[in-house]
Amino acid sequence: MSLRELKMVIGGPQGAGLETILQVLTTALAHNGYGVLSGREYHSNIIGRHSYVLIRVSSYEIPRSLTYPVEVLAAIDPETVFTHYNDLAAGGFLIYDIGGEDIHVGKIVSMGRHLRERIEEELSREGVEPIIKELVNYLESKGVKTLGLNYREIVSELREKYGVPPAKLVRYTSSIVVGAIAGLIGLDAESIHVGFSYKFAGKEKLVEPNVYIAMRVAEIVRKLYGAPLALEESRLPYTEYMIVSGNDVVAMGKIVGGVRFQSYYPITPAQDESFFLENYERLVVDGEQLASIVVLQTEDEIAAITTAIGASLAGARAATATSGPGFDLMVEGLSWAGINEVPVVITYYQRGGPSTGLPTRGGQSDLFAAVFSGHGEFPRIVVASGDHLEAFHDAVEAFNLAERYQLPVIHLLDKFLANSVVTIPVPSTHDMTIDRGKMISHVENPFEYKRFSLDGPVSRRAPLGHAVMWYTGNEHDEYGHITEDPVLRIEMYTKRMKKIELADREIPEEQRAQLYGSDDPEILLVGWGSVKGVAIDVVEMLEKKGIRVGYLHIHYMSPFPRRRVSELIDKIGLENIIAVEHSYEAQISKLIAMHTGKMIRKEIVKFTGRPIYMHELATAVSRILDGRDKVVLNYGA
Amino acid sequence: MAHKPEYYRTDLWVDWCPGCGNYGILTALTQAIAELGLDPVKTVVVSGIGCSGKTPHYIRVSGVHTLHGRAIPFATGIKLANPSLTVIVEGGDGDLLGIGAGHFVALGRRNIDLTVIMHNNQVYGLTKGQASPTLPRDMRTKSLLKPNIQDMLNPLVLAIASGYTFVARAFALDVKHLKEIIKQAIMHKGASFIDVLQPCVTYNDVYTVQFYRKAIYRLDDESNWDPIVRDPSEEYEKKMKAIAKAQEWGASIPVGVFYHNPLVPSFEERLQGRLRYYIENPPARQSITVNGGAPLIDDRRMRKLFSKKIVPVRSRRPSD
Ligand SMILES: Cc1ncc(C[n+]2csc(CCOP(=O)(O)OP(=O)(O)O)c2C)c(N)n1
Ligand code: SF4
Repeated sequence: MSLRELKMVIGGPQGAGLETILQVLTTALAHNGYGVLSGREYHSNIIGRHSYVLIRVSSYEIPRSLTYPVEVLAAIDPETVFTHYNDLAAGGFLIYDIGGEDIHVGKIVSMGRHLRERIEEELSREGVEPIIKELVNYLESKGVKTLGLNYREIVSELREKYGVPPAKLVRYTSSIVVGAIAGLIGLDAESIHVGFSYKFAGKEKLVEPNVYIAMRVAEIVRKLYGAPLALEESRLPYTEYMIVSGNDVVAMGKIVGGVRFQSYYPITPAQDESFFLENYERLVVDGEQLASIVVLQTEDEIAAITTAIGASLAGARAATATSGPGFDLMVEGLSWAGINEVPVVITYYQRGGPSTGLPTRGGQSDLFAAVFSGHGEFPRIVVASGDHLEAFHDAVEAFNLAERYQLPVIHLLDKFLANSVVTIPVPSTHDMTIDRGKMISHVENPFEYKRFSLDGPVSRRAPLGHAVMWYTGNEHDEYGHITEDPVLRIEMYTKRMKKIELADREIPEEQRAQLYGSDDPEILLVGWGSVKGVAIDVVEMLEKKGIRVGYLHIHYMSPFPRRRVSELIDKIGLENIIAVEHSYEAQISKLIAMHTGKMIRKEIVKFTGRPIYMHELATAVSRILDGRDKVVLNYGA
Repeated sequence: MAHKPEYYRTDLWVDWCPGCGNYGILTALTQAIAELGLDPVKTVVVSGIGCSGKTPHYIRVSGVHTLHGRAIPFATGIKLANPSLTVIVEGGDGDLLGIGAGHFVALGRRNIDLTVIMHNNQVYGLTKGQASPTLPRDMRTKSLLKPNIQDMLNPLVLAIASGYTFVARAFALDVKHLKEIIKQAIMHKGASFIDVLQPCVTYNDVYTVQFYRKAIYRLDDESNWDPIVRDPSEEYEKKMKAIAKAQEWGASIPVGVFYHNPLVPSFEERLQGRLRYYIENPPARQSITVNGGAPLIDDRRMRKLFSKKIVPVRSRRPSD
């Protein structure tokens, strides 16, 4: 019997090659047509602390969410076994290093005292001594199949065979894991070869010894178990996949969207996007350089936003990328962009706050920050992406909206999306247009140019260098000169505020809020950002049980899709609506209330910094249906 | 095409107190722009906040009046997006060395072709006379309740240490001299800094016009003063001499060019090395569309650019 889908956790110390395992496996699986989604969890640390990837592979769809329990737990180190043994499904497989059999949980200081004590307690309740060997026996007694391998012995073969020096042998541990998993799934040598070739493109010498190790281990597994987790032949229609993280797709979207200036100050989980762009600072296709992108690492986030604004004034499509603490610093610049009607894009990757709260974990608790920060009133557009493909399109659209309405656009994402890697069909630019709005490059009389002409909410915009113009953070007249005249103040203020009304009229509400699942639901989940995937999965799951459920995905926070949301709420009834969010407050329900006067009182929230998993959301929904008003989720290491 | 300085003046009411040193700076700057014959459309004056921050509105070239302390990064973005523009930064001493000190230092490290003119009145003018980072310790100007408890920062030394390649000082009311310095600074290809001693007649009763008239002397008048680095081997020595000279304060205050190093590559040149065609075809002037609206990076180009991210699915086995 073969499986329709498979979940795996692979864990080890930060820096031990998890990234390699993930890339190789994802590539190998994609090469066989499977859809793959993976989430990555790690500490705010460079080397040594526990990190892991959770992978979901499917032969019938591109997975949208992550879930437990898993069929495979592959441990690079003993800490992983202790941390995740509970995540294993009955009948699942544990891959571990028998070299670490005698390790006691109390000895693993990298683990953190709270977790150590919790696990010791948990195991002692089961009468298990917290030593790997004992834990393995216990798991076996529960039906888990274990696969103990001597990691050190296996990689040492590479010494004679490929002349790998002893100090470098541990780098091949990741290939043991790749091989063990390949063996369980039954991935063939060609797939593994493709996986490593993509990973080590440009460093071909590394491919062969890695493939060798992986296939050696796969062979051991095959002899022991056959290919017990073989997946069904993929039924997905794609002939190719793009393998991307959230950071990658946003950067790609920016490139297609015509970014020409990106400034940033390093901060997790945003910086990888700027690194990606820097790799493409010269856009060369077929030997021809089509364009170039200036990527500037600034001295701080204040400079990041203000240089981007400056570049935009000069006429370049300009953006910056950051997360919470950095965005806080950008807020003064945001207000300046607001009063000066500057098209600028801020890509905002949320993480767990407040302050540096959980710097490498996820969250959605910055919704209010994105929508409301800034002194004074000014219009802004806030778009929140729910998945990778959406993020790609939103990254392009963010520039279009910024230029069409001449205002700052905040593109809101989160760490879950930024760091999860997924196989997507190659996005198409077919229906895309680049809309530069009322940008002009020729001005009849450059001395009479009115940058802020009052003939409509959006004035003709000439870049610096095409006319004489003034900008100021103070209230100003049509030329951009300071004024405190009360009549002009009303006119200029109103002109600016009208833009959001214009955007509200022009951007279809179907684009700003999408309904998934039943179009006549009894129960409605409401959420945004990366809640999208897991909510849609749960909707489908519940529908199979005969419950008519829908998911309302709020895509634009500003201008808010007020009419659509309001109508849906009236139709379904507030008592049947549940807000789902990565926060304590379920901020989205407050935003909805603000715009519609209707306050959703039921909520499912999570603020551990870990994603919402499908299995826990499904359970939480049934608890709400049983009469609870609020469920706080907590699954995940 | 030469124009008279009046050509470069707007007809707005000037907001400063009568007798303010800012008038001298405004006059010198407009004259410098006029004498260099700068195209008003291609010239941008970027300012911070404060009395000094209002300068752009009085000059008929493009003006960007930004945030307190942030004129330099705004100017950085403008210049890097379109290096063919002449970009001049105006800021107060509080602006550039207090709230904006980080940006001030960063500009030196980058050596972008910007000219920074600092209105140094030792006080925060527009917020009514608090001590700025250039006011010496124990000094008490008339608006201070108590003598200044913080030490002063030496702007020239900081500029040199940060990497500015043209560093000078001038007096706001010696318009002719200041104008010449501004012209040199604008023509210099790299980060230029001018510390302009600017009497604030309303709040600073210590560093007054009379005080400066007595103390100031010209570096040009020193027979062997040569601030220019003509060979990289001279850099260290010229820097040290300039730093030593910059320590003089009080009874005799030198003005003129302290340090001038035309040999350090500008940031624009550094970018040209990495990006190619950057100067000829900078970000602000590139076309991002084809056929009037489709993205320049179409499907075919996107696939080529990101080919490393695209994995083909192998053909299904024949049994299917
Ligand atoms: C972020 C911020 N903080 C404080 C202020 C208030 N503020 C306005 S003008 C000014 C002082 C400016 O002093 P300086 O830069 O020395 O310029 P001057 O007025 O002396 O020319 C301050 C602090 C502000 N505008 N923005
Ligand atoms: S307060 Fe001082 S700096 Fe400001 S305008 Fe008056 S004299 Fe000039």
